[in-house]
Amino acid sequence: MNMFAKLFHDLDNLTKTNDRLDRLVEYFKSASPHDALWVCWFLSGNRIKGAIRTGELRSFVAGWAVLPVWLVEECHQRVGDLAETISLLVKGPSESKAGSLDSTIRKHLLPLRGKDSADRKLLLSDTWSHLSDFEMLPFHKLLTGGFRMGVSKGNLYKALARVGGVEPSLIAQRLAGDWSCDDLSFADVISSSLSRDTNPYKPYPFCLASPVLEEVESLGSLHEWQVEWKWDGIRAQFFSLGGGRGMIWSRGEEAIEESFPELTKCVPYLPQDICLDGEILAWGYDGLRPFARLQKRLGRKSPGASILKRESVRFHAYDLLRLEGNDLRTLPLSKRRKKLEEVFAKIPNHLPLGLSEIVNASGWDELSKKREQSRDRGVEGFMLKRNTSSYESGRVKGSWYKWKIDPFLADMVVVSAQLGHGKRANLYSDYSLAVWDNTGSLVTVAKAYSGLTKKEIEEVDRYIRKNITGKYGPVRSVRPGIVFEVAFEGAQSSGRHKSGVALRFPRIHRWRQDKKPKDADSLDTIRGFAGIQDICLTENQGIDENGNMLLF
Amino acid sequence: MTNILENKREGLYCPAGDFFVDPRGKVERAVITHAHSDHARAGHNYYLCSDSCLPILQIRIGTKAKIESVPFGKRTKIGSAYVSFHPAGHILGSAQIRIEVKGEVWVVSGDYKPQTDRTCEAFEVVSCNGFISECTFGLPVYQWADEQLVHNEINHWWRENAENECPSLLFAYSLGKAQRVLAGLETEGRPVFVHSAVHSFLTHYEQAGVKFPKLQKVERGIDYNFSNSMVIAPPAVEDSTWVRKMKKAKKGFASGWMSIRGAKRRRNLDRGFVLSDHADWHGLLEVINGTGADRVLLTHGNGDALVRFLRETGKDASMLEGASVRGEEEE
Repeated sequence: MNMFAKLFHDLDNLTKTNDRLDRLVEYFKSASPHDALWVCWFLSGNRIKGAIRTGELRSFVAGWAVLPVWLVEECHQRVGDLAETISLLVKGPSESKAGSLDSTIRKHLLPLRGKDSADRKLLLSDTWSHLSDFEMLPFHKLLTGGFRMGVSKGNLYKALARVGGVEPSLIAQRLAGDWSCDDLSFADVISSSLSRDTNPYKPYPFCLASPVLEEVESLGSLHEWQVEWKWDGIRAQFFSLGGGRGMIWSRGEEAIEESFPELTKCVPYLPQDICLDGEILAWGYDGLRPFARLQKRLGRKSPGASILKRESVRFHAYDLLRLEGNDLRTLPLSKRRKKLEEVFAKIPNHLPLGLSEIVNASGWDELSKKREQSRDRGVEGFMLKRNTSSYESGRVKGSWYKWKIDPFLADMVVVSAQLGHGKRANLYSDYSLAVWDNTGSLVTVAKAYSGLTKKEIEEVDRYIRKNITGKYGPVRSVRPGIVFEVAFEGAQSSGRHKSGVALRFPRIHRWRQDKKPKDADSLDTIRGFAGIQDICLTENQGIDENGNMLLF
Repeated sequence: MTNILENKREGLYCPAGDFFVDPRGKVERAVITHAHSDHARAGHNYYLCSDSCLPILQIRIGTKAKIESVPFGKRTKIGSAYVSFHPAGHILGSAQIRIEVKGEVWVVSGDYKPQTDRTCEAFEVVSCNGFISECTFGLPVYQWADEQLVHNEINHWWRENAENECPSLLFAYSLGKAQRVLAGLETEGRPVFVHSAVHSFLTHYEQAGVKFPKLQKVERGIDYNFSNSMVIAPPAVEDSTWVRKMKKAKKGFASGWMSIRGAKRRRNLDRGFVLSDHADWHGLLEVINGTGADRVLLTHGNGDALVRFLRETGKDASMLEGASVRGEEEE
């Protein structure tokens, strides 16, 4: 455990990405394979679920430290991270009595699952008598599921690739999707032998696009680019396996084929052993439907016949990553596209499968004009993909771009705030934003916490501290005074917000210090120019507190 | 507010002696707990402070100011109030002010730290009926480790940086913290530099018997080769060109706020050292209980939690109205 704790604290202290990468390589070379595999598992974004609940953990800590529970909650709010709060309140022995990372997880973490609360409390107090102060934070990060430590998946793959002397994309595929430390060995992860890859149907790391930040002309001649509409759906990879089986992976690397039986039914019509990259769209007899319609299908396994009929979907393909078992990702896009079109030429028309059309234009000017059709078409703008580009893992500069239409903008008032997390701990930096309704009241339409500079966040924090008007748990209501220009991608009906509207991807565009609360926009304006579509939503389970649609 | 002290716009006022403690604005008589700028402000007519605070206060507010000083523990009569200064353990010369009127005793703590360190007079618990306490770090997540351990950490960090030929740039508030850090350095022959803001207080600390390693003041316009050295500077210079020129430097910050990782990450520091001149959670409770005070008023800090905690243990505690909230800029 101590070696892992050292890694954890070193990663936390290092400020440069390359230094972190070096440190990770050093760890993988010296750690025991069991420990190293756990680090791979956690850094792949996995977490141990159901080990403990936040409230339970806080009450155990309160008991241990002989503090009232409310005070532990206050501490949690101030620190902004429960694992860190515990490490500051619980003092372990001066010398660690914990074993390896693997044994600590197996003896102290995994057994928490399935125990009743009293037994969990016993096991945790025992754990606290084993861990040194140095190990407290790392252990509780694993327990509460927040072990990322500034290492992206991409960097994890790079580090492992360096240890094993293999390509990062190979590592990426081995660590993708669902796996546990019992079905894989560290040797499998870094092996240079391909025969060890028993499951070729794991998702490929998704190739991601960067936003076009400069004038689009700076990308050179349009002829070098393949242009498609930017579809607003669920990004997914669709595998056809032998025996008529299909697998669909979401971008979050979750297997979602059970939710879309109409798509897996298409597998017999597809060539065997292929992988399509594309988008699941809400699509009916009237064509493309708004993203909000997909909501009824989200998270619903084995949907019934009526919902399948009412809320039908379609898989829109735009890339071919695998054909007859061969990995095509390193081929140039133009070749992959040609093969993709050949595949589609043989697919019957009645299936809910489509090909993302290529948009042709004589030059950037004409393309810009076509881009103005985006809102009418229900798309978000254009995707620009370099003809010569291979299918990269993640976001690679100069390869794929998203040329999105400008977001909607509205001026909103900060009406309440909460302390932030991480870098923004102990700063009021999560804001609830409101606009005026017809009765002259401010109604909350969005929450946002990104878009301000460090200096601005501190200044807003000072304003909030001086203007708190009420306390509701961790939320502080604030005297209206701060106006932000908020950018968002669209609006949907929502029962969650009192306003009846939820915004898509709201973020702070800039701070309008020149404006007063009375200058903020009205609810009607937002509903109006967002072209809100009143599909009647009876459930709201698929919308998070930011008003964003949740994917599964 | 109390029989002895009133809370006025300028700050705490004692009508029996017609004086203010650490006032704002412009008053006739100011009794000063210590020389930090949020307690000792220029512009008053007469000042009273502890003997060892005097030379430092002069640097802060000018030698022309009319300042009198008294030794720790000596009772002085101002009007009908008896006033005495008692060590607060915060910085050199820092004092708690004991005010006695007609047998009732109130103590204004100023800033204090019950743990001893080698740069200032050791804190003294003063029995009183009412205690006005700071509570900068009024949550149990703030618990200080033994000071020597922090010095060891700093020395270890410096040694490691020196081996990589990186200068160690350590931010510390220029009065108090910087001197504490300096006094704990093990140079092993490596050079130590200090920013001029830190340097101006050193002689007075040395006169008080504090030992510093051999060091050099950083002068404007000279290019130094800092390579394996330790450079102590106030955090205010963090964004200056002088600092930006030290490209290879590893940056650290010594402050109680460094307990929380977010505070360190926000400043993009390489290291945070948890070294505070204030009382930690246990320190606050120990002192507040130690004074035996029936009434406790809290100032400087987000004291709501401590107020509630003290009340639940049966103390008559509340926030001092109009008390300032101390941000992370101070300390």
